Amino acid sequence: MTRSATASYWTGFAIALGVLVVAPFVLPEFWRRFVTEILIWGLLAMSSDILIGYTGMVSFGHSAFFGLGMYGAAAALLTVRPPDLWLAILYGLVGAGGVAVFVAYFATRLRDIYFSITTLVFSQIFYVIIFTWTELTGGENGLTFRQPPLAIPGLLSAPFTPVTLHWFVLAVVTASYLALRRITQSPFGMVLQAIRENEPRTRAIGYPVERYKIVAVMLSGLFAGLAGVLYALQNKFAAPDFVFFVVSGEVVIFNVMGGMGTLVGPVAGAAFFFLLREGFSRFFTEYYLIPVGVIFTLMVIFVPQGLLGFARRALNR
Amino acid sequence: MAERWHDEPWARDIWWSGKTTRRRFLGLSAAAGALGATMLVPPPWREAFGQAKPYKIGTMQPLSGAAAAGGKTALVGTQLAVDRINRAGGINGRPVELIIADYESKPDVGRRKAEKLLVEDKIDAHEGGFLSNVCLACMPVFEEHKVVNMIGVCLDTTMTTSKCSRYTFRPFDYAPAQAVAFAPYLIGKMGKKWHIAYADYAWGQSTRDAYADQIKKAGGEVVATTGIPLGTADMTAFLSKITGNFDGLFGIFFGKDGVTIGNQAFDLGLTKKYKWAGDGAIAESTNLPALGNKIEGFVGINRYVPVLDPPLNTSSHKKFFEEAIARLKQIDPSGPLPDRYVQANFEAMNALKVGIQKAGFRGREDTMKLIEALEGLEMKESDDFPQGDKTLRKEDHQAFIREFIFEIKGGKHRIVEVVPKEKTMFPPACTFPKA
Repeated sequence: MTRSATASYWTGFAIALGVLVVAPFVLPEFWRRFVTEILIWGLLAMSSDILIGYTGMVSFGHSAFFGLGMYGAAAALLTVRPPDLWLAILYGLVGAGGVAVFVAYFATRLRDIYFSITTLVFSQIFYVIIFTWTELTGGENGLTFRQPPLAIPGLLSAPFTPVTLHWFVLAVVTASYLALRRITQSPFGMVLQAIRENEPRTRAIGYPVERYKIVAVMLSGLFAGLAGVLYALQNKFAAPDFVFFVVSGEVVIFNVMGGMGTLVGPVAGAAFFFLLREGFSRFFTEYYLIPVGVIFTLMVIFVPQGLLGFARRALNR
Repeated sequence: MAERWHDEPWARDIWWSGKTTRRRFLGLSAAAGALGATMLVPPPWREAFGQAKPYKIGTMQPLSGAAAAGGKTALVGTQLAVDRINRAGGINGRPVELIIADYESKPDVGRRKAEKLLVEDKIDAHEGGFLSNVCLACMPVFEEHKVVNMIGVCLDTTMTTSKCSRYTFRPFDYAPAQAVAFAPYLIGKMGKKWHIAYADYAWGQSTRDAYADQIKKAGGEVVATTGIPLGTADMTAFLSKITGNFDGLFGIFFGKDGVTIGNQAFDLGLTKKYKWAGDGAIAESTNLPALGNKIEGFVGINRYVPVLDPPLNTSSHKKFFEEAIARLKQIDPSGPLPDRYVQANFEAMNALKVGIQKAGFRGREDTMKLIEALEGLEMKESDDFPQGDKTLRKEDHQAFIREFIFEIKGGKHRIVEVVPKEKTMFPPACTFPKA
């Protein structure tokens, strides 16, 4: 990347970050919460971009990672007294990571549509387990719990306010973005992109493709789980609906709308999708998903690279 | 031919070129202006009530997604009540403005819509809710904003027991009360030994436990239970294992699962070999056409049955029944009969009205007054409550109402016994969280 390109990238990054930092002060209450939620869904979409955009593996199992992250956080918040933020994150990551290892071990032996179907099947298995194991998971009703305080041991402990929660989410999402960006630009990330471009050739030059794929699924699952933890912290409930494959489908839509293989594109896609849905729902009480669907279809036809697809090269330099 | 299709003459008009021409600018401005003007036109009830500030009542229903059919039916009950209230001069001289939100049958959307109703629309109270998981996800939001939430359909027991909230009320029955009402009939008139088949998820499991408990208390026995996953299209594998020495098969299902078990239990001969009873949702009026004569003889319990036989042959019920049929025909030309979703939402909205009147409720600042007015509210059979008398218990905000034990005969509901509300009482199990 040239010096001027680097400068423009980081300037854009700083502006976007600055806007998101001050957003809670200028936005009305509802929209403030809405932006925080978009960031969470954006992180989920970003996590799936590792597989869809960089490795060329379309996963329909992200709902399982997201949901298990959520239920992991719920387990920590319901069983440990007093509720601890960091323990919730740890439990969520362990939950999502454990599932990701399991799914990765079996699913990465397959390619293309077979990989997608296997991830879908796994997410449905976890959905059925969570839906029917009422004693442990609350079944259809899910679990409700209290929000832990924002605590840094020895430094501070204060209840979350909408503003501090927004900043906390923003900090986690930004750190995740920077980490994922570093990973995708590392030699490891280059191998993932090589797998996407030509898997047999990558194997032929000596890379253990399966191992790379397993690590990619695990990484993706961990960040999806982190998004699940954040959602649980914000909304104080976990429900089996988040493990259902429809959530995975929406994540794929965020990627397509925003631009695959850009990391920030899926976040923009999630924001665009949520804004469309919220905007139309104010005019068409029950039919608002129809125009959203029409716009998505038109985007696939006319803007197949997604909203930020045009900047893919610049964002990946 | 152009290299890129975007450069083709026909595509130039639809593809954004980055140019803002004066014509485009004026066109878009006119469209935006027209849209804005439409939004500023006052709603029709404004004229009738002059400048009276309306009560803003929010209602969340699943109008799209998996539960859309039920949500649309439930909304009919709410709209029916609101129209009737506004025709009669509103509440305390103020009209009711109903703000409808569709939550797509999803809890995350439900939570967001609840926030929108509370923060953006600034509703004074909420009436509605269909899916229990969404109701449970949204209850803390109403509590946080200190707004009364009058449930319209959600059945989950925990809403008025372990997860109860000072701000949430359920003005209709729940599984433990139905079990208390039905168990003596099951044991006394049908048989002592029962096998329970249930939808294997939270509602089915909690309802199974309630019936198992009450059947035992009434002197009967539950010999076995069979859980069938929700939405199972072919229940044969589960039903074929139901054999042995017992008197009756008790089903706990609803919606299309109710149709499936009704048809398949008949096909396997279970409904001939054993007495056949269950939750009234199996034989809801909307299910009867799909069940045909295979549901003949089924005995169920429900808070509402769409008949004009005694004791539902009152003028109040007749009015509700006819208005509901007319309204339902607008959304379903086959003209279905009203079901318990329509009835419960209609009466929930009226309970809110009575509470508002009693409390002299002006808006959110009077929420505590409204809660106190609703706690222990006695509702008498009337045009507001055509189903019958009911009591909204103070300790857990759970209503106790009369129940109808019915049999399906000739493809129609026939009431065989009416259980008064006093005989449906179940002890409260709620401790409201401290404010």
